[in-house]
Amino acid sequence: MKFNLSTYIISFLLFGLFVAPNVMAQEINLRDYRIRFRFKTIKQPDQSRMLEASFIAANKKDRKDRLPVYGAEISFFNVSEEEKVALGTAKTSKEGIAHIILPKDQSYLTDKEGKFTLRAVFAGTDEMKRQEREISTKDVQLSVELAEKDSVQTVQVNAHILDSLGVAIPLEEADVIVSVQGMLSRMVMDEGTIEDGTYEFKMPADLPGDVDGNMTVFAIIEDHDDYGDVVQKKTVEWKVPNSSNQEDENSLWSEVAPIWMYVVLTILLVGIWGNFAYTITNLFKIKKEGQKLKTEPMK
Amino acid sequence: MKDDKTTQNGTNRRKFLKMGLLSGATTVAGASLLANLTSEEELKASGEKIRVLTPDGKMVEVDAESINNYPEAHITPEESRKGIPGRKFVMVIDLSKCKNARTCVESCQKAHHLDYNEEYMKILLLQDHEEADPYWFPKPCYHCDEPPCVTVCPTGATFKRDDGIVLIDNERCIGCKFCVTSCPYSVRQFHWSHKPKFDNTDLPYSPETSVPGEVGTVMKCDFCPDMIRQGKLPHCVSSCPMGVIYFGDKNEDMVTNGEETVRFSELINDRGGYRYLEHLGTKPNVYYLPPVDRQFPLERGFDVDEEIIERYKDVPYVQDMKEKGKI
Amino acid sequence: MDVTIRKKELVKEFSPMLLKPSKWSKIWMAILVAFILYGLVALVVQLTKGQVVTGMRDNVVWGIYTINFIFFLCLSYSGAFASGVLHFFNTPWKNAVSRIVEIITVVSLIVGPIFIILCMARLDRLHYLFIYPRIQSPITWDVIAITTDLIGCLLYLYLTFIPDFAILRDNSEGLPKWRKKLYTSLAIGYQDTPTQRRRLHKITKIMSAMVIALAIVTYSVLAWIFSLTLQPGWNSTIFAPYFIVAGLYSGIGVVIIAMYLIRKYFKLDHYIRKAHFLSAGVILLITALLYGYFTFSEYFARWFSHKTHDANLLETLFNDYFWMFILANYIGILVPIAIVFFKKLRTIKTITFAAVIAVVGLWFNRYLIVVPTQETPYLPIQDTRPEFVHYSATWVEWALSFAGVAAFVLFFMLLMRLVPIIPMSGIIDYEKKGKVRRDGLTQQQQP
Ligand code: SF4
Ligand code: SF4
Repeated sequence: MKFNLSTYIISFLLFGLFVAPNVMAQEINLRDYRIRFRFKTIKQPDQSRMLEASFIAANKKDRKDRLPVYGAEISFFNVSEEEKVALGTAKTSKEGIAHIILPKDQSYLTDKEGKFTLRAVFAGTDEMKRQEREISTKDVQLSVELAEKDSVQTVQVNAHILDSLGVAIPLEEADVIVSVQGMLSRMVMDEGTIEDGTYEFKMPADLPGDVDGNMTVFAIIEDHDDYGDVVQKKTVEWKVPNSSNQEDENSLWSEVAPIWMYVVLTILLVGIWGNFAYTITNLFKIKKEGQKLKTEPMK
Repeated sequence: MKDDKTTQNGTNRRKFLKMGLLSGATTVAGASLLANLTSEEELKASGEKIRVLTPDGKMVEVDAESINNYPEAHITPEESRKGIPGRKFVMVIDLSKCKNARTCVESCQKAHHLDYNEEYMKILLLQDHEEADPYWFPKPCYHCDEPPCVTVCPTGATFKRDDGIVLIDNERCIGCKFCVTSCPYSVRQFHWSHKPKFDNTDLPYSPETSVPGEVGTVMKCDFCPDMIRQGKLPHCVSSCPMGVIYFGDKNEDMVTNGEETVRFSELINDRGGYRYLEHLGTKPNVYYLPPVDRQFPLERGFDVDEEIIERYKDVPYVQDMKEKGKI
Repeated sequence: MDVTIRKKELVKEFSPMLLKPSKWSKIWMAILVAFILYGLVALVVQLTKGQVVTGMRDNVVWGIYTINFIFFLCLSYSGAFASGVLHFFNTPWKNAVSRIVEIITVVSLIVGPIFIILCMARLDRLHYLFIYPRIQSPITWDVIAITTDLIGCLLYLYLTFIPDFAILRDNSEGLPKWRKKLYTSLAIGYQDTPTQRRRLHKITKIMSAMVIALAIVTYSVLAWIFSLTLQPGWNSTIFAPYFIVAGLYSGIGVVIIAMYLIRKYFKLDHYIRKAHFLSAGVILLITALLYGYFTFSEYFARWFSHKTHDANLLETLFNDYFWMFILANYIGILVPIAIVFFKKLRTIKTITFAAVIAVVGLWFNRYLIVVPTQETPYLPIQDTRPEFVHYSATWVEWALSFAGVAAFVLFFMLLMRLVPIIPMSGIIDYEKKGKVRRDGLTQQQQP
């Protein structure tokens, strides 16, 4: 009860403080918070690109107190020195995140090196300041292959960028994370560096695949200065079976009991109830004889 | 034949919905707007609340994306007997990291609408022998592979599914309490009386959520299958600030505490994982990593309610501390 | 011819018992009914408010309802056992006690299960036991065993009643009409012809064997409800035989008490004689020794091997339950043994006293088996709410328990109004046999 009560009271107070038109409380409140506006771009496995802005107010003193900004409109642009192209807008979710997804054939305003610049803008309101962030990135072509090399399953990561002429230039250096997809999370298998556009990693042979016997491997370049986030995945048939197929057996805890229990129970019950039936038939015989005796003297 | 196929497709689609809710839901959520925030959200009294800031600088409370917001995801008692295909769920609890922060207990209570004293997750203070230091011991249901509780149930109200989870169908339970006496880990609790919260019929009952409760039936930790279906972790796992609890699918050999994902077999073998009271042969699906190289001194765990400290009064260590006036 | 006269005499002798309830018996019945009504009030309270009104909580989920259930079933079981033995071996002194024993059997078999039903929290769902049966559950076995046993015992009891119903029917001058009708239909035309007699004798004999078997099975199943769990105090291989011996012990005790009361109350001194008490006393002695032996082995093994959890249990028993332990397992066993062992001490009164101690001691012994085990589970109970740590029964539970005892006595008294407590047919058989034997003897002596 105590816990419920106290949270109840606190939430009630908060409600009263901030939902009711209490201007004072708001201002004090906002001054205590540092606004964090972040922007990143993720190139997704299907080659589309996600732009994601996160908008959170963090209490300067209490690290646990983080308020997502909800419902703020964020506009995304592709900018170059001369031009500015609007890419779309989105509102932040309850977690303070707004994102848009750009299709894989989206064209960007690039410079000579193939670099392009993206910008996220929150226009600002009377109470909250305008926010703006910019990132420059290059379009990386990342690929993952799983191949058997010397009878060891090997993950082969390849990465390059296309210059303005469409020539593939291998990535010089970028940290990459190799992970596999599980039901609830991704498990990091290895962290390494792509050099000259490639990286190799030997998968442990005993790692089981998923329910269908497949394995999905991810290669991820995370938060790179030049490339932002790049994610690539590959699903392959995996040789190590998933040991999920348990046989249904009759056990003490299954719905159906072990056979012998039915057998014994049936024998017992048939024996006993058979005897009851026998007794009752005999009683009827006694009754019949009694009736005969009754009617005979009458005759 | 045709009919068969269509119904199969139907259920498959539904399954897909149930499984894929997370990914679907979050992308859509970005589009849900402030417009419906003030009117609708405030009316709903139930559910978990989070505080957010609006662009015009106001702080408001809104319903968190909570488990039961998806009507498609309602799993009927009949469906809940099957389990999530091909899975085998395990939990690993790292005793060296637990400091009795009790967030697992509280988040679980919130999600399952439990009262202060109703705890699916209990935190005990155990002391193995006189020489040993006591340690904090979170205890959920172990979802045993040979569950005595299921064996003794006369109606099949409590059952074990293919994915290893042991659940209770409180619409079938007759309240004989045999399962309570046969669980060697004292996991099961009972609804001794009717409570107003049981009347809340907003959410249809499902054994997977254990909500709403029902007088005269048993309850226990359910491993939050409703969360798992959405690809989320059970409440205790995701809420623990220390990352004490790992959860995952043993078939995949992967467990995660929300921050890191590790191979189950490696975790168990490298850290000497064990199951509690192994000799009873119940074959729990909850493993413990021994309380060695503790990250926190034990006393950190006494930073809780007076009432909760009182619970541990029989532990010799606590008596010592009390004598010295440290607690 | 002299048999018919004897029958008339017997009916005359016993009819006051059947017909005219004395003032005292009326008062007694009123008191019993009052107890039952009080129990019903408690029942209504429990049904409306739920089991919070009992002392049961999350750790101790089975309280005195379960104890009473075991207790009554153990009476029934031992009754069935005794009566089966009496009939099967055609024991000479069966006449005086067989009917008492049979009635105890059936009545306690009706009262006992009521208690286990009280222990279930959802009575509205009782039929789920049959809709969704799981035969792995000892409770299912119990349901099957008890219903089978109940039907078997009723059938058996009826068989032993038939000859008396016939006698009552044939000599029913002066009986009210409904009784005449009742006896006529219940006697199903039994005329004591040789074929009828042989037939009845045959099925009674088979049923008496069956009833013994049934009783053993039922009571073992009951013991298994405890011993098949993993709990430290319950998981014991000797529980089934231990329960059976304990059942016999308390059963004999209740029979002795009933004999004493009936003898005193209905002045049946010439039917229920001191010899009967002495024989019953000897059986009490034997079962007490056996029961003491089992109790000792049970606790001795736990104490000697002192596994942690067993040791915890024993500690609870010797600390929190010290006096109860002494009462149940020392006084409850040693005093009856002492009384019955010494010839000089054996009087009707002392034997009855020993029986009372045995019965009370046994009830507490059951309490010690059921409750302390639940209070010392494998993992320590860490709770601040006293009622969750220690069990103590509430008024609701006591009211219902006493109502159960009252119902037991009341049923007993009502059944005694229906048929004579001493089987008349048995008396006649006995007298006939006595003659035959005497004749036989003289014939043997003559040559
Ligand atoms: S821990 Fe207890 S309740 Fe959970 S499955 Fe095992 S026996 Fe059943
Ligand atoms: S209390 Fe309910 S779940 Fe437990 S054994 Fe009885 S019927 Fe089954």
